[in-house]
Amino acid sequence: MAYILIVDDDEDFAHTAAVVLCQDGHEVHIELDTGDATQSMQNRHPDLVVLDVMFPENPSAGFELARFMRHKNNNLKDIPILMLTAINTKFPLGFGAKDIDEDWLPVTDFLEKPVDFDLLRQKVTQLLGRADAAN
Amino acid sequence: MVLDKSIKVATYELPLAEELPAPASCGEDQSGDGRTSERPLSQALLAQNVSWFCQLRWLVIAILVGYGILAFFPGLIRYFGLRSPGMWPFVTAGILTASNLVFLYFARRAASSKAGAGQPEGTQPAGTASPEKAVPRRHLRMLPSTITMVNLWGQIIADLLVLTAVVYFVGSMETSIAFAYLFHIVVSCVFFHRRWSLIVTFMAIGMFAACIVAEYVLKILPPMSLFAEVPLDQNEPSVLIVLALNFFLTIAIWIAVWYLASHLSSVVRQRDFELAETNRRLVAAQEERSRHMLVTTHQLKAPFAAIYSNAQLLERGYCGSVPDEAMQIIQRISARCRRLTAEIQEMLQLANLSSTSQDALVRTRIVSSDLLLWCMSQVDPIARERGVTFKTDIRPVALVGAEDHFKMLLINLLSNAVVYSHKNGLVHIGCRREPNGEAVLTIADNGIGIALDKLPHIFEEHYRTKEAVQHNKESSGLGLAIVKHVAERYRIRIRVQSRLGSGTQFELTFPAPQNHSENP
Repeated sequence: MAYILIVDDDEDFAHTAAVVLCQDGHEVHIELDTGDATQSMQNRHPDLVVLDVMFPENPSAGFELARFMRHKNNNLKDIPILMLTAINTKFPLGFGAKDIDEDWLPVTDFLEKPVDFDLLRQKVTQLLGRADAAN
Repeated sequence: MVLDKSIKVATYELPLAEELPAPASCGEDQSGDGRTSERPLSQALLAQNVSWFCQLRWLVIAILVGYGILAFFPGLIRYFGLRSPGMWPFVTAGILTASNLVFLYFARRAASSKAGAGQPEGTQPAGTASPEKAVPRRHLRMLPSTITMVNLWGQIIADLLVLTAVVYFVGSMETSIAFAYLFHIVVSCVFFHRRWSLIVTFMAIGMFAACIVAEYVLKILPPMSLFAEVPLDQNEPSVLIVLALNFFLTIAIWIAVWYLASHLSSVVRQRDFELAETNRRLVAAQEERSRHMLVTTHQLKAPFAAIYSNAQLLERGYCGSVPDEAMQIIQRISARCRRLTAEIQEMLQLANLSSTSQDALVRTRIVSSDLLLWCMSQVDPIARERGVTFKTDIRPVALVGAEDHFKMLLINLLSNAVVYSHKNGLVHIGCRREPNGEAVLTIADNGIGIALDKLPHIFEEHYRTKEAVQHNKESSGLGLAIVKHVAERYRIRIRVQSRLGSGTQFELTFPAPQNHSENP
């Protein structure tokens, strides 16, 4: 089974997602800020990163971590990223899956919070399967 | 507290909020010395003026050539009492043509440099703009604004020199040609700030004075005139006094015109600057508000997402079995969380719509078919869940407005049509263009319908009919209030036809775009 890193400042949400993914047999690690997440990824490469967008110190830290992984670190650039956020496309500055873009929003897939666990599990399986096929 | 002296003391002072400058009152002295009035015109406006100046020069060249051609008609020249112009009109026209071509070349170069400098900032989604995209290009040797300014000064100096030659040949004191300098004085007042326009005025005075001195005082140049006979004997002292008086009167008129034109230009420029500054701040405030709205949405939705997730853990048995009564409560918590999340979003959307000023809206051209297909894709998961199918007859028609607002409007109507349809229902979606250019969108369902007496209330905030509550408990009653706000903003007419138990049809008539050629 896979090693999944959840990067989210909302500990309650991260914990519930971890319980669900652990139940499926995955090994899950939680980091509450993007700086620690970067360090953690350097120590051990995850098979999948579940990433939030807004963090207390930087409202676009999730974007920046995704860009760092894709553009500035060769070792992390192929790790699939599932972005999870409470923001959606219904607001003038909102965004969603349609905005996934190699430069601006370089993530593999996108889910809106609150997320249905079945959908989360389905996406995780799909992304891990895609990564396996690529490898 | 244990003091660690290796840690430096950090100090920070909260900066004061930037305030809008108070607009100058009508009675205030606006001599043009204020810094805002001293600002030059924008680069775009300057470039436009450079081109206009060059176009106008072709007209002057044509007049000079036309006057030169008169030399080939001696009878006509004699009839009007004129002197044969000789070759000077052709020479000056030639010099002007050559210089105009050079000026046009530099004007185009400045325009192409500007185009090559890349897209202006702010073209990407705000709030999440990547810093690497905002790095300015530094490869240009000379900025377009500098090229344009040098071009303008070059044109004015070259024009003044050529004009002085023309003034001499036409008759510096015998005719009113010297007032042609006023054109450049007034134009410089419009193009430049006061000090620069004063320099142009002094240059004109200097060149005119040099011409007069060379012609009448030092007599280096032979007296010239348009007319065959010079009416005044320039050797008489009284005539010289009249000429001198005329000269100083002309200069005095120029200075008076410079003062008036530069003053008015300063006032207009100051007003322009204030308007541009206010507009910039309005746009910035609007963007800041959108950012704030986004963060507020996140902050309000995130806790409910966490509660919902925890409730789901219990509901799905991730934490072991739960008694039936407790399970019912957990399910209620989950349902309420979902509803609250949707309500928060709708309330914020409504607040955003109500407080956005009409001027701050960014209106774009939207193709109705693309918009409807996108909105349908958003509602599709709910439609599948309920077995509702869409039947479409959509023609592409141009709509003009803020795309986000139109999406809000249509998603609300489409999701209502799906949610209030019966199981395995059918939703008809149509779009057509009327002969007068108006776009008509229809969304019709065969669902629960609305009673006649309740129709006037459906656009009120939080209003829900008894039938709607029975059919679907998870609604905030804000969807149609949002629809109403968007419709009012864009002058969209909405007609609702409904029959209780049979279904509802919403017909939306969008005003025709002002430019009909925009239609696809």
